[in-house]
Amino acid sequence: MRNLLKTIFIASLLGSVIFPTASDADYSSLSIPQVKYQGGQPNPHPTAISSLLGQVARRTSIEVNREPLQIKLSDPNLYRYPFIYLAGNEKFESFSEEELHRLRNYLSFGGFLLIDDNSAKANSKFDTSVREMINQLFPQIPLQKISRDHSIFRSFYLINRVTGRKQINPYMEGIKIKGRTVLVYATNDFGGAWARDNLGQWSYDIIGGGSRQRQLTIRLGVNIIMYALTLDYKKDMVHLPIILERLRRSHSR
Amino acid sequence: MNILIEWFGLDPDQFNEVAMNMAAKDLSLVWILALVVAPLALWFFWTSLKRIQSPIRKIFLIALRVLTFAVLVFMLLKPELEFKKSHTLKNSIAVLLDDTKSMSIKTFPSETPRIDFVRRTFEKNRNMLESLKEKFQVDYYFASSQISPTSYAELGNRYQPKKAITDLENTFSQLRKRYEGKSLQGVMLFSDGADLAVEPETVSPEMLALLADWEGPVHTFQAGSNEMFKDLAIEELDSVDFGFIHQPVRLTVTISASNMGNKNIPLVLKEGNTILLSRIVEVREGQNQYPVEMEFTPGALGKRIYTLTVPHFAGESVATNNRRDFQVKVIRDRIRVLHLNGRPAWDSRFLREVLANHPKVDLLSFFILRTMGDDVASPTSELSLIPFPTNLLFSDYLNSFDLIVFQNFSYEPFIDKKYLHNINNYVKQGGAFMMVGGELSFQGGGYERTAIEAILPVQLERTSQPFIGESFHLQRGKSLLRHPILQLEKESSANAKAWQDLPELNGVNAGLKPRKNAHVLAEFDKGNKNYPVLVAGRVGEGRSIVVATDSAWNWNFRRVGEGGSGRHYYKFWNNLIAWLTDDPATRLLQLETDKERYEEGEDTLLRIRVLQEDYNPSIGTEVNLTIKSREGEEITETIKTDDNGEAAHQWTPQREGFYTVKVKVDVAGDKREADVGFSVFSETAEFQKPKVNETLLKRIAEVSGGRYEVLTEKTDLSAIKFPNPKVEVKTHSKSISLWDNWWTYGLILTFLFLDWFTRRKSGLS
Repeated sequence: MRNLLKTIFIASLLGSVIFPTASDADYSSLSIPQVKYQGGQPNPHPTAISSLLGQVARRTSIEVNREPLQIKLSDPNLYRYPFIYLAGNEKFESFSEEELHRLRNYLSFGGFLLIDDNSAKANSKFDTSVREMINQLFPQIPLQKISRDHSIFRSFYLINRVTGRKQINPYMEGIKIKGRTVLVYATNDFGGAWARDNLGQWSYDIIGGGSRQRQLTIRLGVNIIMYALTLDYKKDMVHLPIILERLRRSHSR
Repeated sequence: MNILIEWFGLDPDQFNEVAMNMAAKDLSLVWILALVVAPLALWFFWTSLKRIQSPIRKIFLIALRVLTFAVLVFMLLKPELEFKKSHTLKNSIAVLLDDTKSMSIKTFPSETPRIDFVRRTFEKNRNMLESLKEKFQVDYYFASSQISPTSYAELGNRYQPKKAITDLENTFSQLRKRYEGKSLQGVMLFSDGADLAVEPETVSPEMLALLADWEGPVHTFQAGSNEMFKDLAIEELDSVDFGFIHQPVRLTVTISASNMGNKNIPLVLKEGNTILLSRIVEVREGQNQYPVEMEFTPGALGKRIYTLTVPHFAGESVATNNRRDFQVKVIRDRIRVLHLNGRPAWDSRFLREVLANHPKVDLLSFFILRTMGDDVASPTSELSLIPFPTNLLFSDYLNSFDLIVFQNFSYEPFIDKKYLHNINNYVKQGGAFMMVGGELSFQGGGYERTAIEAILPVQLERTSQPFIGESFHLQRGKSLLRHPILQLEKESSANAKAWQDLPELNGVNAGLKPRKNAHVLAEFDKGNKNYPVLVAGRVGEGRSIVVATDSAWNWNFRRVGEGGSGRHYYKFWNNLIAWLTDDPATRLLQLETDKERYEEGEDTLLRIRVLQEDYNPSIGTEVNLTIKSREGEEITETIKTDDNGEAAHQWTPQREGFYTVKVKVDVAGDKREADVGFSVFSETAEFQKPKVNETLLKRIAEVSGGRYEVLTEKTDLSAIKFPNPKVEVKTHSKSISLWDNWWTYGLILTFLFLDWFTRRKSGLS
């Protein structure tokens, strides 16, 4: 199967030589640009997303584009990428009204935003900025804890706890619009657990846990991406009996 | 009197009566003058005559004044002579003949239909009825829920038990209205009294009130009796008009039994000759009604006709109520879609949202989340992945789907090749299939030379074909602009603009060659080479579509980013679903009736629409129409379509039953057929309360002062009596005023002159 995909990939490359618009060829693959903003540190773990996408490619059938991308909310190409990642560890400047409006539309009509607090601190300045921003973005819809029966916890792996590089909170928070979770906010520094250095080694040690915790964080990242691409299909009746049985067994252990 | 007539210059032959009438309407002025003004004036005048010594003169003057006031009162009363011509009229008798269906019920042991008792009575009493005509105006009416005039002479042919409902209260109300101002001196009612508007053995208070002040007697003659009345009936049936395919339809049935003894009776539900369901009803002496709940599941779409029956036993009074036909229009409650995705991607995510949000779609999605080469770094028990239920989907439940979608999906290693043949057969037998592009579709999915390729509207070129990642605007096929899939907007210019405004696509599957009869609805026009992107085709009874790109989601999300909305993206996919699932509006030959069901004698209207292959109207096409009844009677007609490709045919079925209309057209060698069924129902409510209502007939006679009698072979009507008062009717008249003339005015002037003259002679001014 992998050989087949390689063949198609090579064929695609050949095609792109014949029809040279290379950037368009990435439409079939998953790219996750990182949101650029003013102030603070918008990219504390530059390799985090690339590393996560590598894990996604290795573990799942999703085709990914690991090229690091950064994008401003005002960028006209924003809507080419239905999944964006906003990370940081410092206070950042508020988005303009125009940017908030674009982001609101983006999320309301199909986009997905993962926000990751990389400070590894409770009640960090980044956390304050994020909550202010979300409050401005959706003043009528407060952030809510994502319950354990959410599809995010069963979209690929069966997960029953929220981890990260450092466990600040045992949960993620999110915003739901018309039944779809459009924004996920995690405070446990997911990016720190995902990031690798240029030699392929993990960039940061896991605080208060070992490789199992890192693995669980990677699984959570895979599940979040899988959820964004498949939504609630794991809640279809045909899937439920098997999933519930496995969950029951895992709880009884 | 003749002298008076001649004195006023009138023709004595034209008038035979004279009368004096007062024309004044308001008499208050007359009374004031006569009782107040005149006595006061006379008293005042009497006192003013003191200077006159002669009592004779005084009396003469007073008499003059009295006479003047008398003439004034006379004038105010406005008297006139009316000369008139009048003659004596016959009083009327109304004969009401119940002609409802219940009159066909037989009475045992003679097995004589109720209506025959009436017919025989009329035959036997012909002379009496003839003699009645000499004294009375005898009017005959058929009576059901209303009255319709007939005549004695017509009774032989027209008196048939056909009307749907007996409602005697309404009958008598209409009769009263008809004879308002006329002299109706009596009614003869021949009926079984089986009035649907009242409960058995009862009379409504309204009916009693109506008859209480009836002018003449109402004589009631009961046709038939309840003696030995034996009947098994489907008295009531509650069913829905619409049902959903593969969803249970509930029936609530009431069986009634009279004098049937103790029996176990089968209640059977059939469609055509196929028995769908059977229930045993335990009929026992002393119980008349038996409620039964039934449930069946329609297995085919369209107007389905079902029959519910109980057996007909020897000696039953009514045979027709042992069977009830009913119609259920079976529609799709939901369109069941199986959506297989080769990998999670934005194109499949956004299409899944369309399908999941479609109000009529029941969606079953599968995403291939991992391939055999992927390393999940976890035991299976920690994964949410489930085994792909191939056998279940493509063998057991395949036919329950209305549409199968392969989106960027490679069948190997998930589906055994033998199941591809199942999908092929499923489509040819009326199913729908759609392949959406991507690297894993078409040649990328290994579909060349498979049973799937055979059902696609494109052939797959054998050399390895790339998935071309180029951006392009989709070009619609110019000859297919009216195709329903391409209609994003109703109006053509708005539709063209909608297509123009759609963002460009990125990526197209190359190496697809449209089949001969396929419709290339849209393509990527790359100068010297065209890549078909949207191709539709028919395969056997089914339909299939190719969407050779994995970037249609641009029309949704990117369009929003450009300031538009995803409305046209949703509309596009909804059009595809409608066309694939053979929505009636997407058919090239459309046939429909104006109603779901008709009553007996009602006109039916058939509407036909014929479209060419490119969905332009087929003008002047001959439409061969065959209407067939269940009994095998057949009517054929040929009509032509108009400029809109439409034709209509109106027809009145002669009797109740179920009819099938088949339409055949030949559009440029393409022979098409369509059929539709409809039912003509005859009201059978009369048989729901078939018993004779003795109480009602007795009370009608009693309240109105008439006579009640049960009709037998020997019934003699000569004892029936009606009052016959003399009734005179004025035909014409002429009125002559007695006050508005010079004689009256001259008389007043004469009295006043004599008064003045006498007063002067007496020395008064």
